[in-house]
Amino acid sequence: MHDHDHDHGHDHGGHHERPASQPELRARALEALLVERGLVSTDAIDAVVSYYENDVGPQNGARVIAHAWVDPEYKARLLSDGSPAIAELGFAGVEGEHMVVVENTPSVHNVIVCTLCSCYPWPVLGLPPTWYKSYAYRARVVAEPRKVLGEMGLELDPDIELRVWDSSAEVRYLVLPERPEGTDDLSEEQLAALVTRDAMIGVARVEAPASARP
Amino acid sequence: MSTGLAEVDAALSGYAPLPRLNGELVFDEAWHGRVLGMGVVVLEQLELPWSSFRDHLVAAIERHGQPEGESAAEAYYVAFLDAVESLVAAQP
Repeated sequence: MHDHDHDHGHDHGGHHERPASQPELRARALEALLVERGLVSTDAIDAVVSYYENDVGPQNGARVIAHAWVDPEYKARLLSDGSPAIAELGFAGVEGEHMVVVENTPSVHNVIVCTLCSCYPWPVLGLPPTWYKSYAYRARVVAEPRKVLGEMGLELDPDIELRVWDSSAEVRYLVLPERPEGTDDLSEEQLAALVTRDAMIGVARVEAPASARP
Repeated sequence: MSTGLAEVDAALSGYAPLPRLNGELVFDEAWHGRVLGMGVVVLEQLELPWSSFRDHLVAAIERHGQPEGESAAEAYYVAFLDAVESLVAAQP
């Protein structure tokens, strides 16, 4: 996800590092036209983009995961007591105080839910996705987790043990996904960019970048 | 701004779903997100349902396809751009 860091003067030219592509120029022209016709305001578009990006921007959690992947001692601290380890990286918040981090391995897969409401480790994951709050997910991921994960695109081998963690007001869980193969040469920052919100909830795997796939 | 992502997903799923990886939206370029934002705001402003935009989008995707060397997200948002243009052009 990109940080869309443009100024409100909307001087789109001049400070770009590379020339704009043809579609990008067309997009700017369309925006200018729509503004002129009174159909949009740049602020309204900013608001939508920001809203959608925040909806899917669990960068804090991704940094925690990437750090754990590259630093075994940090990983040990994170798994033994999540909250202080997460706070080491500067992330703490009202609802992130009692964090338990659960590790996915080749033989164990973890997934988190809040069956009662929508408790969620938002200081590290941002706002919960809509489906997380849905009754269907909350009820079904406990009753038939493999099926629910399968429907969400995550097929688990039958011999992988599946653990479902029910969040509460006191305890919030975060999944430490498996580091994908072929990522030994990636920097911590590059690794963090691979980690998705869904992987930290446990409904997806972290995929290797296309360049690292066989 | 009241249109949630779930509403957009619901309207487009099965026809022209937003590009995602592992459940998250994919914007390869900042303008991809901006074009999506334009679509959302224009539909709100014109008080049109997403189903009316969907037809424009599906047609634009069929026209544009995915040229070689273009990422899926790039191809999608080029078509999305076409669709916003044609939707606006179709208004009286």
